Amino acid sequence: MSKTFDLKIVASDRDFFEGKSEMIILPAIDGNHGVMAQHESMVTAIQAGEVRFQVDGEWKIAALGDGFAEIMPDYVVVVVDTAEWPEEIDVRRAEEARERAEERLRSKQALMEYYHSKAALSRAMARLKVTKKVR
Amino acid sequence: MANMREIRIRMKSIQDTMKITNAMYLISSSKLKKARKVLDDTMPYFVTLQKTIHDILLHSPDISHAYFDKRELKPKENKKKAYIVITADKGLAGGYNHNVIKLAEQEMAKSKHNILFAVGQVGRQYFQRKKEEMANDFFYTNYNPTRYRARCITETIIDGFNKGEIDEVYMVYTKMVTPMKAEAEVIQLLPLSQGEFVSMEKEEYKHFAEYSPSPQVVMNHLVPNYIKGFIYGAMVEAFSAEQHARMTAMQSATDSAKDMIRQLSLLYNRARQAAITQEINEVVSGAGSEDR
Repeated sequence: MSKTFDLKIVASDRDFFEGKSEMIILPAIDGNHGVMAQHESMVTAIQAGEVRFQVDGEWKIAALGDGFAEIMPDYVVVVVDTAEWPEEIDVRRAEEARERAEERLRSKQALMEYYHSKAALSRAMARLKVTKKVR
Repeated sequence: MANMREIRIRMKSIQDTMKITNAMYLISSSKLKKARKVLDDTMPYFVTLQKTIHDILLHSPDISHAYFDKRELKPKENKKKAYIVITADKGLAGGYNHNVIKLAEQEMAKSKHNILFAVGQVGRQYFQRKKEEMANDFFYTNYNPTRYRARCITETIIDGFNKGEIDEVYMVYTKMVTPMKAEAEVIQLLPLSQGEFVSMEKEEYKHFAEYSPSPQVVMNHLVPNYIKGFIYGAMVEAFSAEQHARMTAMQSATDSAKDMIRQLSLLYNRARQAAITQEINEVVSGAGSEDR
């Protein structure tokens, strides 16, 4: 068995996951980051997207919101706004949210609203992406 | 007898008030249950968020970034301080609103240039009457806190900070020290100061953390995220404290109403007995005089 590290994923409404993991692939702001045990200590910001991590040889997949990750040689802490398993995501709701966000993006409004819509869109896309792989 | 009627009216009015306080007690206790559940769910995040940020800053002592800039070029007395004050929308919550407002005023007395971001009606109306400088277009309530609201507040604050309209940001809210005890508290949000974060925890790794892709980019994302998380956590905590304060206030109001009714009914019965005795006396003496 390969080396493991302590993985902790905390969402703002619950402790999402806590346990040993062999590898995690994080959706960082500059692309996906693969992290294994004994990784150099690092801090990175996380963008809404899908996270994959390996527990006992089995890959788990989940949708994350914005947040950040602290990576240390023997542990990884991921602190995010939201985290959901694929089976918890309401596809129809996410689909509707995507349409709404796209609609708002088309009718470009104030800059602030533009950022809101963009963030909402990427959250919805992350949810849909994760569910598509499973179902 | 006039006295009897007075007591009866008094009792009736106390009973009516008691109905209201009792209903409010029941409502706030069920709301408290919900609020506490949200608080319990959010607490691990709130704690991890703060711990992780402390940890990260501990590992990067000499970072220079706008969010850490103390703006020392500006003379101290010219600095503009923003206060986010979280109060309830309604009164009748014991000392809850009063404690927060008092603490906010105490803090604000320390400097001349303040701007207030009041969350909740009670605080906003109070400070408006006091003619304090309030932020425009800042109308948020603390009823059932949502992440969306925290995000909006954060954007307003960060925007003001980046534009240089605000130099320091403080948050005044009520913290649940134990599930039974709440306390008003002031926390400095911006600029982040590393000094505070050098905590008692022993340093596990001597080498410093890398930032990917760069410290600037990471901090640009991380700090607003931290502030959003902090505001959300504080809102949840304050909401729970508010319901708790209202519940205890209403409970003690109901209790003292019951007490008053007990005393008044004693008085009432006495007055009634006295009236009956007097009437009998009158009847007896009237009958006696007829006999003669």
